[in-house]
Amino acid sequence: MMKKVTLYVLLSISALILFFPVLYAISASFMQPQEIYAGKMFPSSINFDAYKEAFDSIPLLHFLSVSFWVSFIVMIGQLVVCSLAAYAFVFIPFKGRNFIFFLFLATMLIPWEATIIPNFLTILNLDMINTYPGLTLPFFALPFGIFLLRQHFLTIPKELWESAQMDGCSRFRFYLKFALPLSKSSLIALGLYGFLTTWNQYLWPLLVTNDDTVRTVQIGLKMLIANESSSSWHIVMAAVVIILLPTLLLLFLGLKYIKQGLTSGAVKG
Amino acid sequence: MGKNNRTTGKRGYHNQRKIFGEGMLYISLALVLLAVFLFYPMIMTLYYSFFEVSGGGEVGDFVGWDHYNDLFQSSEFRKSMVGTFLFVLYTVPAEIVISLFLAVIASEKLKGIGFFRTIFSSTLGISVAAGATIFLFLYHPSLGVLNNMLAFFGINGVDWLTNSNWALFSVALTTVWMHIGINFIILLGGLQNISRDLYEVADIDGAGYWSKLFKITIPLLSPVLFFVTIIGIIGAFQTFGQIDILTGGGPAGSTNIIVYSIYQEAFSYGNFGYASAQAIILFIIILIVTIVQFKFGEKKVHYQ
Amino acid sequence: MQSKVNVLKGEMEKMKNLLKGLAFGLVLILLLAACGNGEEDDDASNTETEETSGEVAGSSQEANEEEGSGEKKEITFWHSMSGDNGEAIEDVVDQFNEQSDSVAVEAIFQGSYEDSLTKLRAVGGSEEAPAIVQVFEGGTKYMSESGFITPMQEFMDADGFDVSILEPNILSYYELDGQLYSMPFNTSNAVMYYNKDMFAEAGLDPENPPRTFSEMKEAAEVMTTDNTQGFSFATISWFFEELMANNGGLIINNDNGRSGDATEALVNSEVGAEIVSWVKEMNDAGTFRNYGASWDDPRGPFFAGELGMYFDSTANLAQVIENSPHEVGTAPMPHADDTDPQGAVVGGASVWITNQVSEEEQQAAWEFVKFTTEPAVQAEWAAATGYFPITPAAYEEDVLTEVYDANPQYLTAVDQLENTIQSPATAGALFSIMPEARVIIETALGEVYEGRDVQEAMDDAAANITDALE
Repeated sequence: MMKKVTLYVLLSISALILFFPVLYAISASFMQPQEIYAGKMFPSSINFDAYKEAFDSIPLLHFLSVSFWVSFIVMIGQLVVCSLAAYAFVFIPFKGRNFIFFLFLATMLIPWEATIIPNFLTILNLDMINTYPGLTLPFFALPFGIFLLRQHFLTIPKELWESAQMDGCSRFRFYLKFALPLSKSSLIALGLYGFLTTWNQYLWPLLVTNDDTVRTVQIGLKMLIANESSSSWHIVMAAVVIILLPTLLLLFLGLKYIKQGLTSGAVKG
Repeated sequence: MGKNNRTTGKRGYHNQRKIFGEGMLYISLALVLLAVFLFYPMIMTLYYSFFEVSGGGEVGDFVGWDHYNDLFQSSEFRKSMVGTFLFVLYTVPAEIVISLFLAVIASEKLKGIGFFRTIFSSTLGISVAAGATIFLFLYHPSLGVLNNMLAFFGINGVDWLTNSNWALFSVALTTVWMHIGINFIILLGGLQNISRDLYEVADIDGAGYWSKLFKITIPLLSPVLFFVTIIGIIGAFQTFGQIDILTGGGPAGSTNIIVYSIYQEAFSYGNFGYASAQAIILFIIILIVTIVQFKFGEKKVHYQ
Repeated sequence: MQSKVNVLKGEMEKMKNLLKGLAFGLVLILLLAACGNGEEDDDASNTETEETSGEVAGSSQEANEEEGSGEKKEITFWHSMSGDNGEAIEDVVDQFNEQSDSVAVEAIFQGSYEDSLTKLRAVGGSEEAPAIVQVFEGGTKYMSESGFITPMQEFMDADGFDVSILEPNILSYYELDGQLYSMPFNTSNAVMYYNKDMFAEAGLDPENPPRTFSEMKEAAEVMTTDNTQGFSFATISWFFEELMANNGGLIINNDNGRSGDATEALVNSEVGAEIVSWVKEMNDAGTFRNYGASWDDPRGPFFAGELGMYFDSTANLAQVIENSPHEVGTAPMPHADDTDPQGAVVGGASVWITNQVSEEEQQAAWEFVKFTTEPAVQAEWAAATGYFPITPAAYEEDVLTEVYDANPQYLTAVDQLENTIQSPATAGALFSIMPEARVIIETALGEVYEGRDVQEAMDDAAANITDALE
């Protein structure tokens, strides 16, 4: 009993401390500027003026839609590219596949930031600044994703493939009808991971967008800070809350799958 | 695979070529993309690091090792490197200890534990920009609520972002907070993978809570701890967004850690060649860190 | 096999639940997205409506070869005006678009001047560059040598633009060898803002603000209490530069780079050291406080009535008055006790036409630039912001005289500009690595605040700038 109480106390205090920044951001988004100057913890009344002003100050909805599409495209791209490659590594016994797999794994050692200069120039020379391909294409091939899916494909019994083969099932059909459906949890984990990390990207969209039409919401937030921070922190906090909502929601819904995916990466790796 | 090889061997060379073609077809997308956006730029970065390269990517004079010599003589770069390593030191142990603590208390089967697990994972869903913006506000010299809270306890306000002794710590604090989510998820998963039987046996032996924690949990968790350490270190080296939003590398260059320094040299000052040399050093450091970790980690890690 | 099927079924069930949740989230986001796109379509259709003749007034050499396509020429304009000033610049652009039959300008906010210049450098030499870009004064030399731009003088000459309508003090900053490479747009200088109520409470004369270093030191001391701070300014090199100019100090050799390319930094001169020591003494005494390196950092405490005096750009006067619940006063920048005030360097920014876009678009850009120099436009712009007009004729406009009458604080900057003694020091430093030098100076200031010896820090800063000059 004593142990239970202690645990609940520890859990509650930890949760409060950990979530405090978000709670305070929400609280501040409802405050008046004067209340913020006075260092208040809670707003005296709830009003949504700051939210309205945030939408007026920058095209926040548009930025959200850009972020959504960019993240969605990367997610789909990663799922297709990584699952195809992982499938080949498991089910197609071609010569040199171990070497190529090793090569792919080795790329996990290359920090993306170390390649940012030539990558930026590539996108610039391909005239893909301010375009969706420029924002998404470099992230389709994710070595971690290939590794994760390969791990899952390895658990599919080889006998299944052999019997399917006898029934005249082609490799591609097997990929579509068996390999993918049997790996749904990993695919979901990878998809969520890809979506979240892309949504949260900062450096790359900062470099390759300079036009409101393709600006992601993270960069929009930087613009908003530059635009409003002298006097309007409640507006900035309102924008932060709006930006947090979709990813937090997605995270809460898909938490279990992300946990499975990441854990298998860690434990089996 | 061995079995397959034997059968294909009999059917002959043609079939093997066909299978090779098919395999390459499936991996071609990944191969091309990795070649264009990872291998090629890595080589180009190395190439640029020996040349003067101006903004827009025009390659000028060959300068040999000059950029590297300049780097090692530059007090700013030394400062940047020291800052980077300090940053790793500030963030990695802290985020692992805190996440482990949270994972341990959240691994108990209690009513409403799902709620707490969700909260503890939440920072994974918080973007760098949003998280850093919140902290920018919390740290604000006059409006910041952190100093107000300290004042309540009679402690003088801290110059979170304006004092170069504090700024790196403040950025690190923000980073730790943002990394807790993912570390917590991985560590919790690892804890739940540990077989209950072991604890039951320990209970019979009359082992206490702490001895179970240190004799069973942590040793069995070591591969997972090892994994989060690696991603933590690599993540710390790659930090950019927090710096850009919170400090812009200042004050007095104290938070100008390596990726920010690369960004500033390349895109703010237009010295692509010099920045490329820094990128190569970043690459080498990460390579060394990973190799060292595998060499030493392998021995100490307890695999199930 | 049976059990496997069951497991699969269970998985499917879980999947369905998850998918439902996901679908809900996605629908939510899609809804938001749909609204966002709707707005944009509206904008686009607005700009594409009017039919035009395509004839551009007054262009002789670079006249449109291709006769009008029937649509307005669309060009982009990158700027760094935020907050109220950002709205004011949108107004200027809207006004232009309304009256122009041939050109539609799209204004895009690119963050701070530094951010914007970073972006421009990154895309320089490609078609991604905008037609017009606003660059801060420190980037003048860099831009003129960048190869990304068409000198403004070419358009002015072709169009017979009368340069004498511009304020000579401003021209003297932006002219390089008698040529204008860009058109000054928003000009400002630094002034001291002070809280009149706090002055009165502390027994200081609110109508007679301190003018010299020692007067300021005393005032800062009087106003510093447990809850209030006497003096501050953001760790921004520009304030140091303005203090240097006012005290007759040069930033770099060769007459601040005006009589030849600079080869050596002079920020560690006697004048430079005196300025920094002055700040350091107050900092050590606790009467000066460093609130941070961003423009907004000292504004918060000033608005909240916790800060007596601080330096800021005149450009934010309208914003500061609006946000301060107390009376705001402005005073010229202070000078050392034994020096006469020399005046101010022109700050702010100018607009540049890039050569990265077609000649037709450059010509369209010139139409817009010309529009911004009109007295009525400058007057409204100055009234809405606190920048001063680049053309003296604007002072005659009612919009501006009314604002000046109501808020005499505006006049401090205008007087400061008019009283400026022309010299290399007040013409301002011109060198291409100015943005980098500013970071170096800011770093040195930060080090001094934390206890480093003034001369040592400034010597290092000078050495670093000199290195970068090579």
